[in-house]
Amino acid sequence: MRNFEFFEPKTIGEASSLLVQYGGEAELLGGGTDLIIGMKDRTVTPKYVISLEKVPGMEGITYDDTNGLWVGAMTKMRALERSSIVRERYTALAEGAEEVGSIQIRNLATLGGNIAHGSPAADTAAALLVLDAQVNIADGNGERTVPIADFYLGPGQTVLQAGEILTGFSMPPRSAKSGSQYLKHKIRQVMDLAFVGVATSVSLSNGTVADTKIGLAAVAPKPIRATNAEAIITGNSVSDNLLQQAAGAAAAQSSPISDLRCTAEHRREIVAALTKETAMTAVARAQV
Amino acid sequence: MSEHAVVGKGVPRVDALEKVTGAAKYGADINFPGMLHARIFRSTEVHAKILSIDTSEAEKLPGVHAIITQDDIPTGRAVFAKEKVLYYGEPLGAVAATDPDIAEEAAELVKVEYEPLPVVQDVMESIKPDAPHLLNDRTKDGPRRRVITRQLKKLSKETGEDNSAEIERLNAELGGLDDEIYYNVAGETHESAGDVEQGFAESDVVVEGTYTIPRVHQVYMEPHVSVAQAEPSGKLTVWASTQGHFAIRSGIAGVLGIPLSDINVVGVTMGGGFGGRFNIQATHVPAVILSQKTGRPVKAQLNREEEFLDGRPGAGCVIKLKTGVMDDGTIVARKALAFWDCGSVAGGPIANTIRIRGVYKFPHLQMDAYAVHTNKSGTTSYRAPGAPQAIFAAESQLDEIATIIGMDPVDLRMKNMREEGDQVPAGATEPIVGYKETLKAAADAVDWWNREKGPNQGWGVAVGDWTNGCGPGAVYVSVHEDGSVRLFHGSMDITGTDTAMAQIAAEVLTVPYEQVSITRGDTNSAPYNTGSGGSVVTFTMGNTAKLAAEDARGRLLELAAQRLNTDIEHVELRDGKVSLTNGDAPKSLSLGELAAYSLSTTGGPIVGKGSLSGRLSAPAVAVQIAKVEVNPETGNTKVLRTVASQDVGFAINPIAVEGQIEGGVVQGYAWSMMEEMQYDEKGNVNPGFVDYRVPTTADIPRIESVIVEVPAPNGPYGAKGVGEPSLTPTLATFANAVTDATGVRINDLPIKPEKIVNALKSNGNGSR
Ligand SMILES: Cc1cc2nc3c(=O)[nH]c(=O)nc-3n(C[C@H](O)[C@H](O)[C@H](O)COP(=O)(O)OP(=O)(O)OC[C@H]3O[C@@H](n4cnc5c(N)ncnc54)[C@H](O)[C@@H]3O)c2cc1C
Repeated sequence: MRNFEFFEPKTIGEASSLLVQYGGEAELLGGGTDLIIGMKDRTVTPKYVISLEKVPGMEGITYDDTNGLWVGAMTKMRALERSSIVRERYTALAEGAEEVGSIQIRNLATLGGNIAHGSPAADTAAALLVLDAQVNIADGNGERTVPIADFYLGPGQTVLQAGEILTGFSMPPRSAKSGSQYLKHKIRQVMDLAFVGVATSVSLSNGTVADTKIGLAAVAPKPIRATNAEAIITGNSVSDNLLQQAAGAAAAQSSPISDLRCTAEHRREIVAALTKETAMTAVARAQV
Repeated sequence: MSEHAVVGKGVPRVDALEKVTGAAKYGADINFPGMLHARIFRSTEVHAKILSIDTSEAEKLPGVHAIITQDDIPTGRAVFAKEKVLYYGEPLGAVAATDPDIAEEAAELVKVEYEPLPVVQDVMESIKPDAPHLLNDRTKDGPRRRVITRQLKKLSKETGEDNSAEIERLNAELGGLDDEIYYNVAGETHESAGDVEQGFAESDVVVEGTYTIPRVHQVYMEPHVSVAQAEPSGKLTVWASTQGHFAIRSGIAGVLGIPLSDINVVGVTMGGGFGGRFNIQATHVPAVILSQKTGRPVKAQLNREEEFLDGRPGAGCVIKLKTGVMDDGTIVARKALAFWDCGSVAGGPIANTIRIRGVYKFPHLQMDAYAVHTNKSGTTSYRAPGAPQAIFAAESQLDEIATIIGMDPVDLRMKNMREEGDQVPAGATEPIVGYKETLKAAADAVDWWNREKGPNQGWGVAVGDWTNGCGPGAVYVSVHEDGSVRLFHGSMDITGTDTAMAQIAAEVLTVPYEQVSITRGDTNSAPYNTGSGGSVVTFTMGNTAKLAAEDARGRLLELAAQRLNTDIEHVELRDGKVSLTNGDAPKSLSLGELAAYSLSTTGGPIVGKGSLSGRLSAPAVAVQIAKVEVNPETGNTKVLRTVASQDVGFAINPIAVEGQIEGGVVQGYAWSMMEEMQYDEKGNVNPGFVDYRVPTTADIPRIESVIVEVPAPNGPYGAKGVGEPSLTPTLATFANAVTDATGVRINDLPIKPEKIVNALKSNGNGSR
């Protein structure tokens, strides 16, 4: 690891101006579980590291029936997976958080870091996509909000501009007749990165699926929605045949690569298998 | 059981407290004032001529004290590549600097010019004529060519009869065997018994298969590390994290061309080895030479990536196996042709291909094994070197046969197992063994013949075998005035062997285990000792500890008899006291009293010595049964149950024995289901734990160990080598379980989800 200077600003404004001042030579630090690894490998070599730990108001989970859920960017994965409101209403997000690394990692890893890192395989990304998350961004002068679907530009690339900090995520309230699930394909039971990640959320109305969202991770340059598959399911009542069709459509909409983990073809098959399974589970969960 | 007071009990390890509290000093914990840090600079090409190495920029970096290359190796023995590199990550030299980051920076500043050469990574490609020839252009003959060439040689020597027709026929056959001309062969072994072709002709069923087993790393927790201090006098001290400090001493002496007596190697507490921690080149030699150059202590430590790029992992191989059986399950003949991937250094456990014979009796056997070069790092031992690979092929094929002939897999194995006095194919006769007892123990533990399984579930069984080595080793035992007992030796403890030695000394000297302590000496102080590998330690050191303790006991009895004015026949040692046995007054002397008394006798302090080598060991067997469930949609496998039985001879410490069994099962599970060093034309592509997967506790549920004890005639209290057998059957166990669950057999490890999904698809019984 190269030497670096360490800052602990107390406000967003302070953090933002440090970022602007040091430009490309600075990195924000959340839990450090991506950044420090990169620094040790010398794939990231910041001269200035700016911790967000001391900035107030960036950590926490709040909920009300009108505004829905808000999760601060510095909220730890462990807090997400243990939050009963997240578990009950935003189940896919709890399941995504729970899939990250080990308990030790999840005690450090933040939701903001997972998303800001820009990895197409981030375990919370598919869930945030299907839960309609809005990304809150601030730079000390003002705030803006970007739908999660527009946040990613490509592998490791996001819409964050110089001096901008991700402050949190807002998700709309969810009806009682809604359900969601995130499933991750991997080899190990725990502590494995996603070969494929799929999240599905549905809401039901009069026995049919009124709304479907399917998010795919690790099968495209960025996390994507399987909109064609969503369209097949929405407005219908689920059947094996319908889900089979949707699974095929999701696989077709993915554009995975072959790498040392597995082939693109296998990833597509898994997209299909997990689309079907998450959709079934999401519907079942919506019914209870 | 109850005849022993201390052995046979699961006492806590002698080093438990220091390990649990973090007090134990590992190699990385050794630091000295003024110590420099080494960093090895490595090839960034996979196969290339080295045109130049320019260290001038690196030398200028502030904090850099020395840079060495092959030119600095006094004997010229290969430590760093000089003319040619044969794999990505091959060491080219090393830097010593004031801190690790500067050393790393400097290593990056070394400029190397290469002329790239074509790369070969697959053994089956490497043997072909058009492959790049890595070390030379020599060829070796395949099995059939060897036979014909030998016949031709014999015929050409025979005079009298006209054998020209036969010579012509053989020459014609030879002409058609060009694909048996192998290039890049580093070594070969061959074994045979009976006539294997005749055996196949006589068999009712003959099954053939090709089995591919990947190269895997030992993934010991602690990467290689050493600290070296060269004195102005020329003497060297090396603090080494190693399985055998005496082996390191002779290795360093050889490379440096200096006397053994100039080198003291201190073996420090070590974070695992599994056969991979005998390497002198990885860190020891670079640290020593950099210390000689700078006059400062130098620490050389690998990181995990370097461990993968430049470790000496366990060899992968391709085994072509053929077995002939009768309809009733009797094995008749078995033939193996194996190609072991030894990377760029001659080696590989080719001789252990013979493990394909398993624990079964059959008359016809042929085994031909070759070590083949590729553009990878060299290999070395990994827990029962070669056996898990060979046994994977053998026990998978046996399962396939069981299915074909419709016989229960346990029954098939039981029917063919050898017993005492049976002929080992291409071997001696079997001594007393516990094969059948161990198989039965595992089968009974799961109620095998009444086993049940749900959809997508399956059971697998496999049998593995191994024989431990022995010695040389030596132990001194001292008895002190307070009655405490101390053992002194030069053996590295990896698995709890010091604990076993302490238990044995306590048993012999009839003192509580807590009264015995044990000290490992460095190579300057301790008597010579073999390295800790090959399951030798408890067998060897247990015996030496026993001999030493008995020697001390003899001296105690002698002294006591003298002191009590009686004959040695009339005293006995019991409960830490020597007492009279001839009915006189109940006089007794404690060990402490005798030790104190000894100091004023002409015989001097009480010291016992035990020293031995080469005792005949006994074959050990391990049987494992697993139940798994496979998701046919995703190909994911979940382990539901694992039972592991093992004939350990005698469990000196049952808890330690169970630990060894569990460790073997986990490593074998990993090798069968996920572990694999992956290579392409760029070299090792998964040099880290992100894509080189080792299992976590979540992957494998509690392992049920079943200890079987068929005593080894020469083992301490009957103990056999325990460390290695437990990994030998596991690969096949899980492969067989997956086959039972899915109906498809995957002979190409590891059995990743993708392979299962693809096999199910091509088998036509996939889920979609
Ligand atoms: C052993 C291990 C296992 C892992 N397993 C998984 C896994 O299974 N699934 C998975 O998805 N990930 C995994 N990760 C990756 C990592 O833990 C997660 O991505 C984590 O959520 C990152 O969060 P962090 O707070 O640690 O980020 P950091 O490392 O602190 O930051 C990551 C990046 O985001 C930037 N950043 C952080 N916070 C902000 C912010 N508020 N605004 C703008 N930019 C910001 C940083 O500058 C940096 O570039 C694993 C990591 C390790 C070490």
